[in-house]
Amino acid sequence: MEISPTIFIVPTGIGCEIGGFAGDALPAAKLLASASGCLITHPNVMNGGNLSEKDKNIFYVEGYNLDRFAKGEIALKRVKQQKIGIIFDLGIENEILLRNLQVADACVSTLGINVHSYVVTKKPLNIIIDSDLSKMSGGIIENPDTLIDAGKCLIEQGVTAIAIVAKFPDDSDSLETNIYREGKGVDPISGLEAVISHLISKFLKVPCAHAPALYPIELNENLDPRAAAEEIGYTFLPSVLIGLSNAPDIVELPNINEHISLHPNQIESIVVPNGALGGEAVLAGIEKGLNIISVKNQNTLKVTNEFFDYPHLFEVSNYLEAAGIILAIKKGINLNSIKRPLKKIQKISYSDQ
Amino acid sequence: MKLSSVEFYLDWPVSIQLKNLREFIIATLEKKGDVIRWSIIDIQNSINSCGMKKLKIRAVLAN
Repeated sequence: MEISPTIFIVPTGIGCEIGGFAGDALPAAKLLASASGCLITHPNVMNGGNLSEKDKNIFYVEGYNLDRFAKGEIALKRVKQQKIGIIFDLGIENEILLRNLQVADACVSTLGINVHSYVVTKKPLNIIIDSDLSKMSGGIIENPDTLIDAGKCLIEQGVTAIAIVAKFPDDSDSLETNIYREGKGVDPISGLEAVISHLISKFLKVPCAHAPALYPIELNENLDPRAAAEEIGYTFLPSVLIGLSNAPDIVELPNINEHISLHPNQIESIVVPNGALGGEAVLAGIEKGLNIISVKNQNTLKVTNEFFDYPHLFEVSNYLEAAGIILAIKKGINLNSIKRPLKKIQKISYSDQ
Repeated sequence: MKLSSVEFYLDWPVSIQLKNLREFIIATLEKKGDVIRWSIIDIQNSINSCGMKKLKIRAVLAN
C-alpha cells in the first residue's frame, strides 16, 4: 500500500484549540492517518480519558520516544499485543486505586488487552505543578527515582509497556481548572504528565503513557465538549491502556537484528500547530529537510516560520487542508499544479565552462 | 536524581544555521543537566545585533 509516513504533533500543555483538551485531536489524527496511510502520534493526541480508538494506520508513541524517532535514534516495530504493567503512585487514595484496578480488569475482560500486573511506588511521587510560568502547564515530581525503580520492577517481570497513574492535587475549584473545563485555558496538569512519561521513556526505553489520579469533580453545566471525555468516568486509564495495548516496540538504532516496521528515514512530513515550531521533533525534521505542515490551531506559543524562513513549510488553515497536502505528497502531485495562478516554468541560464 | 524546571534566554547567533539550531540548544542545556523535556517557547529578533535572534527556552532537567 502506498504510504507517506507523517508525524502528527500537538504539544502538551500549550492550550491548543484542537488537541489541548481531552483527546480532541483524535478525529484529526484519524483523518491524517487515512490520508497518509501511516501516522505516528503521541498519547496527548489519542487519549481522551475514557474514550480512545485504535487505528491500524496509527503508531502510538510517547513524546520523548517520538522526538527520538524524529532524530533518527530509534525505529518502530509493530506488535500484536503489549504486555502492560501499571505503576501506581503511593500517594493515590485506596478508593481511587481500586477504581483504577477495576478499569484494568475491565480492559482485560471486555477488550482483551493484556494487562499483566501492577506495582505501587515505594514513595509518593509528590507532584508539584507550576502552571503559569509562560501560559504553559508544567512542573516537576519530587521523587523521580521511585518511579524509575517501580518501572524496573515491572520490566523484570516481563512487562513490555508501562502505564503510569500518578496522584495529582485535587484542586477542582482552582481558577485554572475551571477555565480549562470551560474551554478557555491551558490544561493545568498536562505538561507535568509529559514529564512523568518522558522519565519512563528516557530511562527504561519502553512504550509508556500516563493517566492522572483525581477524584471526580462536581458537574459543570458549562463544560466544553472538548473536555467532556475526562468527565464521564472515575479514572483516565482506559485510553492509556487501549493506546498501549499495541503500541510499537522501540528499536534502538543502528540495529540489524530486529525486524523494523518503520524506520525514521521513511518519514516525509511533520504536522504541527502554527506557533509550535520550537519542539525537538520539528527541529530534527527541519535538519532532514522534511515537509513541515503548520496548521492554524490557536495556542499560547508564537514560534513561527517568520523566524526560521524554512523553505519546505506549508502553512494551512485547518487539518482538512493538511490532509489534502499529505495526499498530494503521497501521490507525488506538485502542489503548485493545484493552485492558481499557475506560473510558467522558468528558464535557467548557464555559462560555458 | 532531582528534577528542576528552568526558563532562560539564549542568543541565537547568525553563525548558527537553522539546521544546527537543535544541536546548539542541546549543547547549552546539557551543561545545566540531563535533559528530560525542552522546547523553544518564544523567539524575538534582537534589536541591537544585526540578524541575531533571542530564544526563550523552557526545560525540565535532571541532576
